[in-house]
Amino acid sequence: MSGLRAALLDFIADLRTAGVRISIAESLDAMHAVAAAGIERVPMREALAAALIKDEADRPIFDEIFIRRFAPPPLPAGARRGPARRSGTFGAAGGPNPSESASGAKTASPESENEPAPATRQPQATDSRAKASPSRNSLDGASAERDSELAARSGDGSSEYDPASARESDLKRSYDAPSHDLAGGSEAARAAALRAIEQTPFSRYSDLEYETARDALAILKRRFRARLARRLKLAAAGRIDLRRTLRAAIQHGGSLGELRFRARRPRHLELLILADISGSMKYASALMLKLAAGAAGAFRRARSFVYIDRLAEAGFEHGRLVMTPPLDLYARSDFGRVLAELTARRAELISRATVIVIMGDGRNNRRPARANLLRDLGLHARSILWLNPEAPERWNTGDSAIGQYARAVDAMLLARNLREVEEGLSRIG
Amino acid sequence: MDITLESVAAGMRQARYITNQRVETAVFLALALGKPLLIEGPAGAGKTEVAKVIAAMLGTELIRLQCYEGLDEARALYEWNYQKQLLRLQADEASGQRWEEISEHLFSRAYLLERPLLRAISAPRKVVLLIDEIDKADEEFEAFLLEILSDFQVSVPELGTLKAHERPVVVLTSNRARELSEALRRRCLHLFIDFPGIEQERRIIELKVPDLDARLAADAARIVNAIRKLELKKAPSIAETLDWARALVRLGVKELDTPALRVTLGLLLKHEEDRERVEAKSSALAARPR
Repeated sequence: MSGLRAALLDFIADLRTAGVRISIAESLDAMHAVAAAGIERVPMREALAAALIKDEADRPIFDEIFIRRFAPPPLPAGARRGPARRSGTFGAAGGPNPSESASGAKTASPESENEPAPATRQPQATDSRAKASPSRNSLDGASAERDSELAARSGDGSSEYDPASARESDLKRSYDAPSHDLAGGSEAARAAALRAIEQTPFSRYSDLEYETARDALAILKRRFRARLARRLKLAAAGRIDLRRTLRAAIQHGGSLGELRFRARRPRHLELLILADISGSMKYASALMLKLAAGAAGAFRRARSFVYIDRLAEAGFEHGRLVMTPPLDLYARSDFGRVLAELTARRAELISRATVIVIMGDGRNNRRPARANLLRDLGLHARSILWLNPEAPERWNTGDSAIGQYARAVDAMLLARNLREVEEGLSRIG
Repeated sequence: MDITLESVAAGMRQARYITNQRVETAVFLALALGKPLLIEGPAGAGKTEVAKVIAAMLGTELIRLQCYEGLDEARALYEWNYQKQLLRLQADEASGQRWEEISEHLFSRAYLLERPLLRAISAPRKVVLLIDEIDKADEEFEAFLLEILSDFQVSVPELGTLKAHERPVVVLTSNRARELSEALRRRCLHLFIDFPGIEQERRIIELKVPDLDARLAADAARIVNAIRKLELKKAPSIAETLDWARALVRLGVKELDTPALRVTLGLLLKHEEDRERVEAKSSALAARPR
């Protein structure tokens, strides 16, 4: 078994290299899982996945590396694929020794719904489990599929088997797995897409990334809403309810056996968002506004504004950002002027319950920063959070006045990608 | 029951749970390795049902701990029965007993209210412990759970350490309302259950609502699958699909055309916005692909 152990360790190393976090305990679990499930391809794949993959978004990476590591052995060129060669063995890239794996005769049906199927696969009219069970002990699904592929390609059976294209096909199936597998809700596929896009820096965004992020935002919105609701509720917990505690004590003969606490009440916060929508900031700001809009219900009042050199109220109509009044998108950023405007409207917009969230890079085109106005606004508000999508090494360079603003706010947070925006917004309260 | 992959597959089939290799392997490993199984996936995809099926398969009791915000150790593990203790205290005082004698009785198992975790640990035989919607519990409770899941033992100061006679089969479910800690994930095997594909859902409908015409079952599975792909506030669950299928039988629907779909949409969709969105596409949804 040392060959198999080495292969599994290499496989785990590949997963770690690809960014999947695997602890030593999980590696040991994987060994035990394979020992229990056996080394036939499909059960082994699922056993390894159960032990190693703790986030469905990592599953495509897992499938790809699994196919690469435990690829079926290539057949000699010119050889016809016959029953004698139909063993469910591994080989090639570091796979276990063929003698370590089971082999047997081919059965007709593909393995299971989880095993990606060729396009020509017909729905099974009867319970596929009944058919699949014997095949699990005899031949893995991928081999079965490749056989059918081979048969389809060869027609009269005279064509040669091409291991390269078979592996490519395996890989393709691996990539296709979520969409086939999850043809229903596709939640896992959505989660995987979100995972990728939420880590992409805004600085690398084009319209394409923005569209992808916008599509993936639904999951993030739900998560953020729940996270924020928890935070706002939890913050108010912990006070003892004396009247209920005494009443409970009466039941126990007067002894203070049980403490009763006040019911948790959501705090009545107000949210005021200021988002810079100048060229370099437009993607970050639009996504942040959408994300925050999803949690507007958690606040007593939530208002969003966008700015470049002036302030405009922001809203969404049919998913599109609408500004009132419209801003000149080619104007030069001037947050100092925006602060003056905000100060003039302070009574209308800001109270002691208001949390102000600013999304901007603090680049002011060398115009007066007027950070003192921001400090004054902070005295009248509950708190000010600043989300900055710019990398810290660029802060205070060129026309950046972020250092001055940083001293006037309660927290200056990095918001270089969607995940960091969510983290930042979750600190509200 | 001899735990093999085949026996698990057969057991789940016998419990009328339509499954796939991924689910079977994860359940098999949870039983064979004695590790907790963390099941994630959208609400209504059949996560809780897996625990019920395991209990049915093993012919044992299912102990369920429903998590919610504010759940604490007292609700999950044990509490002393204060009222009973007070009654005993008053009775013993009246009979002139000394405190040493009284306290001996007061902190015994007879006065302990066992909550789900302790019930699972102290059960004389292997049981299935379902910790449902762990993502709804607070992070503090999750940390507390780590200790239980590692050792399957509990320290009650007055009684000492209570250790499980038989390690329970532990199934945790999560809808991902919040991210669970890495520490918890590390201790569990992981399984993601998504909504079934068209074919699998058709089989579920046929199994659970045998009175529905096979053609209608296929149409229902196809339509529900298409509806789930829309951006909705709440996608229809499998249970809602089955309710819909039963309603189609009761209403005597022969053809799942646009009017029939519109009339019965309320069984699948529970938000008005979702209903409006789907109604707008009902003709396309009802049309059978050529």
